[in-house]
Amino acid sequence: MRRMLRYTSAALTMATCLASCAPVRVNSYAVPMTDMRSYRTYTWDVAELESTGDPRLDHNRFFKERVQEAIDAQMRFRGYEKVAGGTPDMTLHIHARVQQRIDSAQIDGAGGSCSQDECRSYVYDEGTLLIDIMNARTRSLIWRGWAERSLDGIVDNQDLMNQTIDRAVSVICARLPVRRLSGGRPLFARDE
Amino acid sequence: MQRRLMTLMMAAATALAAAGCATMGASSHVDSGFDFARLRTFDWGSPDAFPLGDPRLDKNPIFLDHLHGAVEKQLAARGYERPVTGRPQLLIHFHANIDRRLNINAADAKYGYCLDDACRAGAREYEAGTLIVDVIDVRTNRLVWRGWAQDSVEGVLEDRDRLVRMVDAGVARMFVNFPAGALKGLQ
Repeated sequence: MRRMLRYTSAALTMATCLASCAPVRVNSYAVPMTDMRSYRTYTWDVAELESTGDPRLDHNRFFKERVQEAIDAQMRFRGYEKVAGGTPDMTLHIHARVQQRIDSAQIDGAGGSCSQDECRSYVYDEGTLLIDIMNARTRSLIWRGWAERSLDGIVDNQDLMNQTIDRAVSVICARLPVRRLSGGRPLFARDE
Repeated sequence: MQRRLMTLMMAAATALAAAGCATMGASSHVDSGFDFARLRTFDWGSPDAFPLGDPRLDKNPIFLDHLHGAVEKQLAARGYERPVTGRPQLLIHFHANIDRRLNINAADAKYGYCLDDACRAGAREYEAGTLIVDVIDVRTNRLVWRGWAQDSVEGVLEDRDRLVRMVDAGVARMFVNFPAGALKGLQ
């Protein structure tokens, strides 16, 4: 019984860790020869989020609006301006994808939660959140950033989902050039 | 006694593993700024463009009847009723989705949930069902609540009793935190 309790405790520790300490992988690229100084205003593409791979997130306005609000805050912080009408410089699109993955690595060997033959393969849901910034006039891509992480235990908890969205958007947008409006200083600089 | 208890627990865990190693998960998202307490009526929305996701569920009267009944029972318990006349304040939609998912049962052996031969590690596919219920505010035509339940449906769609039990349990669990309506205080 004591052995079972120990294993149960290890399982709970692993599950908690998978939900809360899962690493976020982030990447981005800007289309070469793009002069970001000519972009200031943006608007949202109104397309619905569908076929995400997770039916809980398809057409889910709680998910979509939280992502948009988080991006709006990051864009505002970086000196970009959202406009409701007129002719914006950029159009923003978000894409979300959830896929089941297999991790056959020695998942917790390094963390000490399991050892040797206790460290086995497991399956998990991996979520990818991708932000595309398009030239509104030409409709061509000028910047793309994305983050990937395990979503196990995330979507079922609305507060945890919101925190995960905020963190993912934050790390993606940290790679976005910052626009500075004050005269004499560089208009753009990396905020890293 | 302790040995007997362990045996029972092992048997239960093995049965769960055999059913796809998935226990039912259910939860919901809600518009926290929306005032449900002023509302009292709901009705079913017209079928939308989304297929149910599996031909075994499309136009399946057992599934549809029990789903409607289970949702209406949960809403009635929270102070909502169907309008006698006029427009409802809330519209209910549902979607069902069935995907093939992978299970690696090595974890069962790892944590002692199976014994010897039952612990053979391996990957296998199973059918995972997701039932989603959406609640729309008629005035704004916006989603104000979404609930869902997910579970393995291996062998369930062909078994009337198991299907009914799963629908009842899934709906009851997803509605656990559904906000009470105006009639709740009058009950």
